[in-house]
Amino acid sequence: MIKFLVKAILRDKNRSLLPIIVISIGVFLTISLSGYLRGVMGDMIDQTARFETGHLKVMTRAYAGNKDQMPNDLALLGVNELTQSLRKEFPNYQWVERIRFGGLIDAPDAEGESKGQGPSAGLAIELFSDNSGEVERLNIPHSIVSGRIPQKAKEALIGDEFARKLKLDIGDEITYLGTTMNGSMTMESFTISGTVRFGMAAMDKGAVIIDISDARNMLDMENGAGEILGFSDEGVYFDETAKQTEQAFNAYYANSNDTFAPVMFRLREQNNMANYLDYVDSFASMFVVIFVIIMSVVLWNTGLIGGLRRYQEFGIRLALGESKGHIYRTLLTEAVLVGILGSLAGTSLGLAAVLYLQVHGIDISGMMSGTTMMMPSVLRAKFTTDLLYIGFIPGVAAMVAGNMLSGIGIYKRETATLFKELEV
Amino acid sequence: MSHENIISIEHVSKRFPVGDGEFTALSDITIYFRRGEFAGVVGPSGSGKTTLLNIIGSLDTPTEGTAVVMGRNISNLSHKESARLRNMHLGFIFQVYNLLPVYTVFENVEFALILQHKSAAERKKAVMEALEWVGMAGMARKKPSKISGGEGQRVAIARAMVKRPDLVLADEPTANLDAKNAHAIIQTMKNLNRELHTTFLFSTHDEKVMSYLDRMVHLEDGKVAKDEFIKTKTTKP
Ligand SMILES: Nc1ncnc2c1ncn2[C@@H]1O[C@H](COP(=O)(O)OP(=O)(O)OP(=O)(O)O)[C@@H](O)[C@H]1O
Ligand SMILES: [Mg+2]
Repeated sequence: MIKFLVKAILRDKNRSLLPIIVISIGVFLTISLSGYLRGVMGDMIDQTARFETGHLKVMTRAYAGNKDQMPNDLALLGVNELTQSLRKEFPNYQWVERIRFGGLIDAPDAEGESKGQGPSAGLAIELFSDNSGEVERLNIPHSIVSGRIPQKAKEALIGDEFARKLKLDIGDEITYLGTTMNGSMTMESFTISGTVRFGMAAMDKGAVIIDISDARNMLDMENGAGEILGFSDEGVYFDETAKQTEQAFNAYYANSNDTFAPVMFRLREQNNMANYLDYVDSFASMFVVIFVIIMSVVLWNTGLIGGLRRYQEFGIRLALGESKGHIYRTLLTEAVLVGILGSLAGTSLGLAAVLYLQVHGIDISGMMSGTTMMMPSVLRAKFTTDLLYIGFIPGVAAMVAGNMLSGIGIYKRETATLFKELEV
Repeated sequence: MSHENIISIEHVSKRFPVGDGEFTALSDITIYFRRGEFAGVVGPSGSGKTTLLNIIGSLDTPTEGTAVVMGRNISNLSHKESARLRNMHLGFIFQVYNLLPVYTVFENVEFALILQHKSAAERKKAVMEALEWVGMAGMARKKPSKISGGEGQRVAIARAMVKRPDLVLADEPTANLDAKNAHAIIQTMKNLNRELHTTFLFSTHDEKVMSYLDRMVHLEDGKVAKDEFIKTKTTKP
């Protein structure tokens, strides 16, 4: 019987082609959209982790409360010891120290007169330490537009856009103007060793990247750091393990009233990441549900038309001694077969699109110029193995649901009425 | 062959709801058919021929009265039981749209046997034999769209006969055929009736068909107007 059904599906283009096309499109959209959005969201989360939140982040309670203002007067002190103990207690994470600083960058000309100024978004990292992994983590080698990574004290990387705005070249001097940890004015000169573009509007505008030792000198932060970031050895954020680490760490200080006591946050709790993380998990299922509904309705309607056309066939089959239930079931079997065919086609197309977008991505830098979001400016899809099969859920479910609905007509109609179609 | 009644229709009425009221298509019909008969229900259009055949074929049920076919009371059969009755004991031939267009001639005839879960070898043998009976063996691989109306009706006969049913119901089988094909078809059925002792019941207003019938039940306005037994010219070969 199945063989008979397959023959009919393959031969009767009206019966199979339209549903296969509808399903292919729906499955294609399910796959490519989930793959794409997951890729984009995944990249965003990854970028945010690398540049801002880490998988885990330690700050003082006071700093955490005002962290958008980069309040270095509230920074952690005695970080050497703290970092050591973090490395000892939680060896599955790489722990690195960073200092963020605001302030003004002044570009003096040959006579020492200011030729331009701009607010800076300063980031001091462990540039000179080989095992911090920070240079790779921030993808600096690939982000360099010109020049090189700082190799000695008083060298700085600045954002390419920033450099152009201030008409700065490699080797030029810039002066940082800001306040120290103790609130007094400070001025420090740096030599530009290179310019960078991270492809994130928020980072590229006023970026100044220096080694953390320079920042400590300049900001009077001996053995201090704004934040200590932890990155899991696997390079991937696992909320469950991060949560355990976080709880274990915070338990030490649970009874302290000190506003300068360190406190740990995991990625999920920072920068509203909880929503994003949940979205990423739910994208695929969201699309599956949406497309099951849309396609079911479409297929129901095309099924209705096809079904009417097929009442003749059902009439003959009833006369040959098939029961209504059997016809209904073969209709659903047919739906499963067509659903599988359509899903295969749609999944292949969808995967092709995902793989293409994984390599090429869509450049949205033009649209992103005003925003401060940590968002990569080329949005890429991401292939995950579940994309191989999730398309079959809406493909087959929609086809079966659509046919179930349109096939109810077989039961609703009197047998003899089905037969009327046989008369002229 | 026993001479028991293969069909017993007793006080059968059939009313269809139309608008606010009802339309009486059959009214208090009582009639019996015996095994091996080659009989026809004749009468003008709208007289209830198809309605009666549908009830006998358990495609419909009477509003009143009892219709017993092959010992089964049509009114009491479930979907499944009536499907089984058709599958195992009845063959149908309609005026048009007899064949499933996606399947070949062979597959159309084979379909009935697939429903009976016959093995592929059994099916092949039986299908080819049935196609031989109607002279269509040479066209087994063709699609219905590639054969003529007369050939299509012959395939329909083969399909009705392939499972060797007890009773064949043929609703105006010649209505769309020219005279030559009509005669050929009806002659084929007459031969099968004689060789296999299959009971045939026609509905027709075709004079050509009537000339072959052993018995004619005349319907008028849903009532039996006349029930005549005839010694036809072709009773003996
Ligand atoms: N499902 C139905 N609903 C309403 N009326 C019906 C239905 N089926 C049949 N009728 C009516 O019952 C009457 C008898 O119909 P039937 O089809 O049995 O006639 P017939 O003798 O086969 O006619 P024809 O020679 O035209 O095929 C007709 O007037 C028809 O309109
Ligand atoms: Mg009729």
